[in-house]
Amino acid sequence: MPKQGFQPFMESPLHHFKLDAEAQARRADGRIWCNELPHLGYAVLRGDTAEAGFAQLVQQVTGLALPLQAGAVSQGPQGVLMWTSPDEWLLVSHRQRLADWTAQLDGGFAAQQLFAQTVDSSGGLTLAWLGGTEHITVLRHLGVYDFESIPLGHMVSTVLGKATVQVIRLDGDGVFVLFRRSFADYVWRLLRRAAQPYGFAVCQLEARGDHPLFAQLAAPRPSLILA
Amino acid sequence: MLVITCPYCQEAREEEEFSYAGEAYIARPAVPEEADDATWGDYVFHRKNPRGWHWEQWQHVAGCRKVFAVKRHTVTYEIAGSWTLADGKALYLKEQA
Amino acid sequence: MSGYRIHRPGERINRQKPVSFQFDNVQYKAFSGDTLASALLANGVRLIGRSFKYGRPRGIVGFGAEEPNALIQLETGAHTVPDLKATQVELYQGLLAGSTTGYPSLDFDLKGLLGKFGRFMPPGFYYKTFMEPVKAWPVYEKYIRKAAGYGHAPVLPDPESYDHLHHHIDVLVVGGGAAGLWAATLAGRAGLKTLLVDEQAEMGGWLLTERRSRIDGLSGMDWVSQRLAELASLPNVSVLPRTTAFALHDLNLVQAVELLQDHLPLTERNAALPRQRLHKIRAHQVILASGAIERPLVFGYNDVPGVMTAAAGHSYLNRYGVAVGREVLVQTQNDAAYEAALDLAQCGVKVMLADARQGGAAAWRQQALKSAGVELLLGHGIAKVLGDKSVSGAQLVKLDGRNNQVVGSGPRLSVDTVLSSGGLTSTVHLFCHNGGRPVWNQQQLSFVCPDEGRDNIACVGAITGRWELSEALGQTHAAVAALLLGHGRGSSGNAPSVASEEVAAPRAIFRLPDGKPEGHGAKAFVDYQNDVAAADIHTAIRENYRSIEHVKRYTALGFGTDQGKLSNINGFAIAAEALGKPIAEVGTTTYRPSYTPVTFGALAGPHVGETFDVRRYTAMHASHDARKAEYEVVGQWLRPWYFPKPGEDLHAAVNRECLATRNSVGVMDASTLGKIDVKGPDAREFLNRIYSNAWSKLDPGKCRYGLMLDENGMVMDDGVTACLADDHFHMTTTTGGAARVYSWLERWHQTEWPELKVRFTTTTDHWATVAVVGPDSRQVLQKLCTDIDFDKDAFKFMDGRSGTVAGLPARVFRISFSGELAYEINVDANYGRYMWEEVMKAGAAFNITPYGTETMHVLRAEKGFIIVGQDTDGSMSPNDLAMSWAVGMKKPFSFLGKRSLLRSHTAGDGRKQLVGLLPLDPKVVLAEGAQILSNTDDTVPAAMQGHVTSSYHSAFLGRSIAMAVLKDGSKREGDTVFVWAHGKSVPAQVVSSVFVDKEGVRQHA
Repeated sequence: MPKQGFQPFMESPLHHFKLDAEAQARRADGRIWCNELPHLGYAVLRGDTAEAGFAQLVQQVTGLALPLQAGAVSQGPQGVLMWTSPDEWLLVSHRQRLADWTAQLDGGFAAQQLFAQTVDSSGGLTLAWLGGTEHITVLRHLGVYDFESIPLGHMVSTVLGKATVQVIRLDGDGVFVLFRRSFADYVWRLLRRAAQPYGFAVCQLEARGDHPLFAQLAAPRPSLILA
Repeated sequence: MLVITCPYCQEAREEEEFSYAGEAYIARPAVPEEADDATWGDYVFHRKNPRGWHWEQWQHVAGCRKVFAVKRHTVTYEIAGSWTLADGKALYLKEQA
Repeated sequence: MSGYRIHRPGERINRQKPVSFQFDNVQYKAFSGDTLASALLANGVRLIGRSFKYGRPRGIVGFGAEEPNALIQLETGAHTVPDLKATQVELYQGLLAGSTTGYPSLDFDLKGLLGKFGRFMPPGFYYKTFMEPVKAWPVYEKYIRKAAGYGHAPVLPDPESYDHLHHHIDVLVVGGGAAGLWAATLAGRAGLKTLLVDEQAEMGGWLLTERRSRIDGLSGMDWVSQRLAELASLPNVSVLPRTTAFALHDLNLVQAVELLQDHLPLTERNAALPRQRLHKIRAHQVILASGAIERPLVFGYNDVPGVMTAAAGHSYLNRYGVAVGREVLVQTQNDAAYEAALDLAQCGVKVMLADARQGGAAAWRQQALKSAGVELLLGHGIAKVLGDKSVSGAQLVKLDGRNNQVVGSGPRLSVDTVLSSGGLTSTVHLFCHNGGRPVWNQQQLSFVCPDEGRDNIACVGAITGRWELSEALGQTHAAVAALLLGHGRGSSGNAPSVASEEVAAPRAIFRLPDGKPEGHGAKAFVDYQNDVAAADIHTAIRENYRSIEHVKRYTALGFGTDQGKLSNINGFAIAAEALGKPIAEVGTTTYRPSYTPVTFGALAGPHVGETFDVRRYTAMHASHDARKAEYEVVGQWLRPWYFPKPGEDLHAAVNRECLATRNSVGVMDASTLGKIDVKGPDAREFLNRIYSNAWSKLDPGKCRYGLMLDENGMVMDDGVTACLADDHFHMTTTTGGAARVYSWLERWHQTEWPELKVRFTTTTDHWATVAVVGPDSRQVLQKLCTDIDFDKDAFKFMDGRSGTVAGLPARVFRISFSGELAYEINVDANYGRYMWEEVMKAGAAFNITPYGTETMHVLRAEKGFIIVGQDTDGSMSPNDLAMSWAVGMKKPFSFLGKRSLLRSHTAGDGRKQLVGLLPLDPKVVLAEGAQILSNTDDTVPAAMQGHVTSSYHSAFLGRSIAMAVLKDGSKREGDTVFVWAHGKSVPAQVVSSVFVDKEGVRQHA
């Protein structure tokens, strides 16, 4: 494909806050630590669990078991797969890998004539990590859900302020807050405001091989993904 | 604020996650063209608006986006239960019978 | 000097921390731990305000939330807070406060003159007196407003912040007195997640005042300390002081406001912390332990400064070390006030006690008082208080033992202070906020909460009418133990032991008689804050108000910021007497949130300023900022409105943008349009049902404009949908309608046609959309993309293609909302700004001109394209819009709204229909929303024919144009109508709503 010298660049939904510039190394004090995990790949996965072959294909392509319980999250070294509705899941991984996965999945769905699909949402979503001793308290300031009760390895879709978000709790260290691009400015400002009493700081996020989402930070950021 | 159990998310959630979606189990005339103006008008405009138990639809807009049935008391706000539309319909029809 | 300091063991002030403060520009000294009220009393300040209606001098009456008179203005400028109760303001170093009433001054109030003629100011006085002439009311009002009212709201932005906090807990205990502390202890010991809130800075409730009781052998406050230490050791228990539970809603949702920093000097407040925090608490179980408030008796001139409740006099003494007077008369009808008399007497105050009961209190109490040198006047009541700005004495009368009548004259006493007690009133407010009703207890003379509480609400202590500590704690223990058992938990420990004492029954008397018919003697106030006297309640009943709710509204009884905490029961009792009914039958008025006033700041919490509402931005926003766009809010989106060049106003910019787009090429950020991915074998069938037009024959690679109707046949949304594959569509919606349409699709699918195999996924945020518009747009696209053939016959109007634009995978649709040759490029939004900048670069040679929503509106109006919600209002059918071409009446399935289009009303004559209007004067731009008349000489009220929906100056046509809905408009082309706005009617000709390129040559170019 001739690129005619084009040099595409990506900007994440929180790009304008220039978070990298203020990010500092995370310390063990009581601050609220927060940052965006930019440029991940997201795909909405739709399918019917009653159709033979659907769950198997998903497992086969992604290595992730299709979560069947409300709010359950399947985790693997290459990404996560979250239950969002009885016939809907959200797949999060590195952009390039996600593009490969969705191509394979859609190919497989078509070949097996399954009533299933993926919908690329990589441009429309982003993820912020929120940690520190009071990270659940910050959520309690903004949303009416009983955030303390989210089991590890679960996701809950609810409301923070006036925005719908998904809160993903994989470990006790912090939570991931998933939100839509156009709401990103609002959600970020809201988190920053609520965290103010505890000391809000942007932290550097480090790639961690044992973590399904932090692991994705290790891979080089793609300059261009051709879907 | 009500607390509503979403039968899909299988959890009681605060009302602000939901959007009210009107009276449940209103039958759309099978062949609208054969319905006279009065019948059609009744379907489009008339609602039970009871003082007491009411079968209604709620959509979990901030959650799974599913529409489901809730039986709610319009005076006490008590909620007798919530069901998937199909499960609720069986119960609803039994009550109507 | 009336009030003065006196050392009391266990006082709650810190003599080691003196503070100074100002009231009405005078400097005073007091101590940390004082309230503003105790500090003022200690400094001998009695005159705090003027009354609302009569301008009568008023002083402090109570010591907490019940205070009706001492409303003060705290601090100045941006920090000012109006109408705080001095009894609830914690003193801090440098505090500035002032009175809120008194015009022209507190010492001399003009209304005071009115007050002298008080008997001529019955309820409804202002309405009755200033009725005529109607036109003069603004003049009256100006002076009445100046003279009346209380504090003033701040005019500067609030510099402090507020937040909200949500709780999900097992047990909420409201009230930190003995009962609440014990309830929290039991719940905490049982391992339940427990929260205890109390409005005061210190826990303890009445134990902070009352010092004689011993609980489990400990003094009251030692027992409180023991409880607090235990609660602090339990990780499942939180205790929040300075936190008022002010509302109880369905399913035990309680709202409470915590004053985090109000007690600190302004300079010591932490800017990172909120001033106040609103707690929203969901509790499986609420335990109300909110206690009771002592009410005063009603007697002549009971409002003279220096008349207080006995509980207030008692509390100022024991909590703050302030004796409220040197010669004090205590007037009571119950035993409890004897405690106040005793403590005061033991401090050297000269005390006399008048008891409305012939027999007085239990013998042991009478003995104790006599031993302390208190003179007892049994069977006596105050007829009137003497003094003007301060109490100087009281005239007593002898009371009949059974009927509330005077049987003889009594002594005239010289005293400087009067304390009165009419018994306790249970604080039932929260119990009643969502429908609970209190019950009248004739023994305790109060409306109380029933012992059994109600679903998941337990009531313990004085709220149930148990005034005696031993009974209150016994009942608390039993009630909480039962509740824990219900939760499958045991309770540990025994009920705290408190010795019980003999108590004589109170006398059912509320208004002390003075021997004169009501209204002829000295004014006897029931509600101080609203100047409601006993006679006013009689007047209301004489004027035939029967329901207590009506009496309340006519007299303003209980309407103040104190919400009748002192006055309600007295008012109900007086009304009951006037009506000749028992109090239980008269009932109470309705208790509504808030229990005490709550600041707007706390209610708004974080939803102010930049987080007031959601602001949605597109991926290209930074590019628009760089090009100095002016914005408008559309839905929650911030969209470029126009892009002014230096010196340009809106009109100049829009004219330039319109001409550039029609003559060369313009570019617009169209990312805000709703986008929904529709996929499945039945996708086509679903579209056929949800849209009014037909979708069966739309081939992949083609787009179609769709109209969405509601079941009533009226247009609810529109947009272009592209067919990507036989079972896959890219739907677009209006910007404002995106969420509604998405929900609409889901609802119809899930509720009506679940058998259709189709799924919807929102992709609004995923795609960033650049609209390239104008005759040169093809050349711009060709510079950016080589793998799509842009030839006019290869890529036709309403075609869609996938390809590589500026090196990125993109969906390109040749669609037009301007009537020009135009393309919309959709890319992953992370590349949105990149794409915008690439289009700008590629278009530079054609003077590509970014434009905003205003130009978009003009361009589409020139073509007669509607905007749903502007040219339609939910009552416009496709027919009314001359869009029958977009209605497939022959489709097999009866699509949404189809049947309604055949209803007589929808199909009949006389409906308003969309037309174009050309003002006869081409320079006149009609006002949007202006009404249309048939004749120029129509006078009000005229028959309205319709209204202007869209109106602009068209630079391309060099004249004004407008769209309108007009009665039978489709048949009125050529008519002249008159558009009325701003007092003028402007003639305009009815024309087709397509003003530019009727044949559509340009968009097909």
